[in-house]
Amino acid sequence: MKVKAKRRKLSLNLNPEPEPSIKEEVLSMRTNYRTNTGVRFEMLSQDQLQELVDGVLHLLEYTGLDVYHDEGREILKDAGAWVDGLRVRLPSYLVRRSLDLAPRSFTIWARDGNPEHDIHIGPGRAHFGPGPTCPNFIDVETLERRPYVKADVPVVAKTVDGLPNIDFCESLGTVNDVHHELGALYEFAGMFPNTSKPIVAWSYDRFDSAGIHEIAVSEAGGQGAFERRPNYVHYCEPLSPLVSTFEAIDKLIFAARHRVPLIFTPCPIAGGTAPVTAAGIITQGAAESWMGLTLAQAIQPGLPFFMGGVYSVMDMSSMILAYGAPELSLMMAGLTELAHFAGLPLWQTGGCTDSKTFDEQAIIEGSLSAYLSALTGGDLTHDVGYTESAMTGSVFQLAAMDESIGYSRRITRGIEVNEDTLAVDAIHNVGPNGHYLREEHTRRHYRTEFWYPKLCDRRNYEEWEMMGKTSFKERTVARVRDILATQQPSPIKPETEAVIQKALSEAEERVKE
Amino acid sequence: MSEILEQISAVVIEGDLDEIKDLTEDALDDDVSAEEILNKGLMPGMDYVGVEFKAGNMFVPEVLRSARTMQESMDILKPLLAEAGVQMMGKVLLGTVKGDLHDIGKNLVGMMCEGAGFEVNDIGKDIAPEAFVDAVKEYGPDVLGMSALLTTTMRTMESTIKVLEEAGVRDTVKVMIGGAPVTQAFSDQIGADGYASNAAAAAELAKEFVGK
Repeated sequence: MKVKAKRRKLSLNLNPEPEPSIKEEVLSMRTNYRTNTGVRFEMLSQDQLQELVDGVLHLLEYTGLDVYHDEGREILKDAGAWVDGLRVRLPSYLVRRSLDLAPRSFTIWARDGNPEHDIHIGPGRAHFGPGPTCPNFIDVETLERRPYVKADVPVVAKTVDGLPNIDFCESLGTVNDVHHELGALYEFAGMFPNTSKPIVAWSYDRFDSAGIHEIAVSEAGGQGAFERRPNYVHYCEPLSPLVSTFEAIDKLIFAARHRVPLIFTPCPIAGGTAPVTAAGIITQGAAESWMGLTLAQAIQPGLPFFMGGVYSVMDMSSMILAYGAPELSLMMAGLTELAHFAGLPLWQTGGCTDSKTFDEQAIIEGSLSAYLSALTGGDLTHDVGYTESAMTGSVFQLAAMDESIGYSRRITRGIEVNEDTLAVDAIHNVGPNGHYLREEHTRRHYRTEFWYPKLCDRRNYEEWEMMGKTSFKERTVARVRDILATQQPSPIKPETEAVIQKALSEAEERVKE
Repeated sequence: MSEILEQISAVVIEGDLDEIKDLTEDALDDDVSAEEILNKGLMPGMDYVGVEFKAGNMFVPEVLRSARTMQESMDILKPLLAEAGVQMMGKVLLGTVKGDLHDIGKNLVGMMCEGAGFEVNDIGKDIAPEAFVDAVKEYGPDVLGMSALLTTTMRTMESTIKVLEEAGVRDTVKVMIGGAPVTQAFSDQIGADGYASNAAAAAELAKEFVGK
């Protein structure tokens, strides 16, 4: 038997890395050659953005916000803010300096060191994930709406772990079946072991935040290691109009002191808690975020900070905050451009709907807003999987949106133009009347040039019929159930498991008192 | 021996055109028979490719690369198989009917049938009924595949079958048809033996026709 040494057992690699498509020396011969990568979306001009920034600075300097936190006001005063009772006004130089201190580019790290789950925040990078705190959930077995319970948390986290276009995790609900003060801690404890994608942690108060942080720090290997490679983001929500609530500021102070990347995201409602005009709601909401920014940078210079959040209209007949309105996407696009102009990443919103069920409305509203979020480069786009105007979380909406986001990402990736992609040689080889299926050029590019749907059906009628004439909804349900049956998130360290149990039992003791 | 056959399967799956000829020669040098190389090396590789393709894990360009890899080996094995009197999968004759110049689908069918182990004669496009008759007489195929993309040209399949009947060769072949506007109902109506909705299904149908 004389099998040559090089004939080792061939390992199958069905997803080869795309080969570099052009030699470096060919590109370096070019002069004054400009490349555009991806589809470009631009709404507001630099002049308009400067006008918005000036409006925000003016608002913070002349009107200010009420800050319901004694220590918070003290810190701001020491930093140079003008404090009068609850009212805090910020001189514009102080806000500008805070904007300068906050980084535009940084990384949120996967807890298990899997580089595919790291999130690199920076220009031209949109990421997606669910939102928090819906009271209801669509049951995975019955497909019926019911209150969100503790057992739903791992379901959401595992689904997030298995969906390729979902980048970070939130719980899609508020846990109803534990003590009402402990929901957020149980959420984090349920999410953290069930996905290694970074988590955005919502909490009620600094006790929750402390428990959450203990868990994350244990996994990171200590506070120092966490600061170098933060594995979660802390979420705080001030109140519109123009109020920094005690809880929001208290949590902010905790996160800033522990160097946890921070989201400070108001939820203003145009026509209700904010001006009816898009420019007006953006100005007010940005001012609410930048009060948090200024406080955070005063405590921890250089802290990664996301401004936010959910800007939409009050539907003037149903009085709800509309999650499927075109104005949501429009306002979020304007806010994204403002954030990027000011040098901050944005906590964006998309992939959500006002529909009560998995129907055409849910897919239209969710897909269009996800597409806009992708186009604008919303740094962390949340609320993917929200239905019923944020009243009900759905992993099915989430999985359907995973498909829409994949579709959108293929479009935003754009067209690469170079000597190789022009394919002049391949066209010459094939010539008139030939075909490209056997071309080396085809094999080299077809996996990266084309997007391959997971849920959209492209089979011919006969095959579709043979496969049971399934609808998009049926395939989505099947995909979610398949992920839940097969997905194996990488495990957390045993010592972190113990920290989780300790944090939960301490919290249970605290609420008994 | 099983090690080299496994390597042949793996090389077919990978579509490694540089390796397959050497491996085939090595196997023959090691006194592995051509029949064994075909049935225990090449075919298991192509079967795996077929399963992965159906599951959506492999795509057409990879399947074609695997089929071509198998053909490289078959070029060496064919005379030996003939010498040993080994029954091949069968012969498939393919053409796009008169008036139709669209042939990407028919080409795909040809490549898929080759991958399934058939000997394929592709006589091209815009083929007149009489030319089909001549080719059937000349090559003696087990299966005749006809394609048309246009609703205006698909009717020519019917007239081609009639001409085959008149020439007395209709019963010597199984006729399968395909193309975007073609359906099973149309196939039944014009007296074809079968219809396949895509290239992979056509190769399966051809296998059924030859009883494999």
